[in-house]
Amino acid sequence: MKFERSKEWWMARARREGDAVIGAGLLAFDPIPEERPASAPTAVVEETRIAFGRFVNLMRRRRGFSMERLAQVADLDASELLVIEDDLHYVPEPRTVFKLAETFEVSQQRLMQLAGLAAANDAGFRQEAVRFAARSEAVHKLTPEESSALEAFVAVLSEQEPKRVK
Amino acid sequence: MTVEVSKVYLLDVATGEGVEAELRDAIEQAQIDDWAKHWIPVVLAAIQDLVARQVPRADWPQSLHWNWPKKITRVQGMLAFPGFSVVAQGVTQGLAQLDLTRGCQEPGQKGKPLVYVEYLEVAPWNRSELGATPRLRGVGTVLLTAAIALSYEEGFKGRIGLHSLPQADAFYRRIGMTDLGPDPACQNLRYFEMTVEQARAFFEKEEGR
Repeated sequence: MKFERSKEWWMARARREGDAVIGAGLLAFDPIPEERPASAPTAVVEETRIAFGRFVNLMRRRRGFSMERLAQVADLDASELLVIEDDLHYVPEPRTVFKLAETFEVSQQRLMQLAGLAAANDAGFRQEAVRFAARSEAVHKLTPEESSALEAFVAVLSEQEPKRVK
Repeated sequence: MTVEVSKVYLLDVATGEGVEAELRDAIEQAQIDDWAKHWIPVVLAAIQDLVARQVPRADWPQSLHWNWPKKITRVQGMLAFPGFSVVAQGVTQGLAQLDLTRGCQEPGQKGKPLVYVEYLEVAPWNRSELGATPRLRGVGTVLLTAAIALSYEEGFKGRIGLHSLPQADAFYRRIGMTDLGPDPACQNLRYFEMTVEQARAFFEKEEGR
């Protein structure tokens, strides 16, 4: 299809557009909330999921990594790391969790449980996750309290997996 | 498939000058590549800026709540559909994908065929919502004009329909489209339709004021 008009015709319309942001269609909108599976995650899953987001955030900052740097090191997509840290309802890809476990040198199985991709069969682990989430604050600078909470949690994540794949 | 190229003009916001651009009646691999290589990094940088400034998630521009993997798949699938792209300064400035199989909903023209704008997005550096001053103005208008022109060519007399992004509602009202309200079937985006008369007025407003 050809459509020709004068330069003036187009310029008048461009000016009329002003600072309007023009967009249409769900794909341009595409909010994550409605993309979630119909079955709402249980409170238990959510608690550990909060801990997962915090864990990734704190581990990343402890290493002094930007999201881009972590994405590079772990061979992941920076945009996915962003939603992992920020959106508690986002369920990450299994590959992502494996890569993060590898990068942070913690148990893959435990991290899968934390991410909500696998069920943890012991209440103790869940409690640890909740305690960790409660002690850490995602948006501020890493405090000494956060550091020690992180250390303790890393120990929990590392210890309880008997056969860790390197 | 041969791609028809029409010469159009955009407004360079910094200089106030007209910039020559191409309106292409297809979305091709080059556009998908531009989208992945140039658009996404700009959006990511904007998101990181929002995170750094601790802007609450609820206050982000709506189009940033993307499901990226799904979006990437969908955009890659666009090669097979009728669409338009605007190219200027060597890079894709806007994309639109169209559906010619739907019917009108506005009571005066219910059931008549129209060009439904399935997707319309302007390159992030041309959008004011991301904080910076937009580079080129008029990209969205060119894509919308193309959709109406296609509607004429198809014999649909200028009728088009679309689900608006919330930040674009005011613009569609301003150019005279009928607001048919939030559509529960489309995540409550407002559905707008352009009637035959409105399309005629859109083209006749020569100086547009």
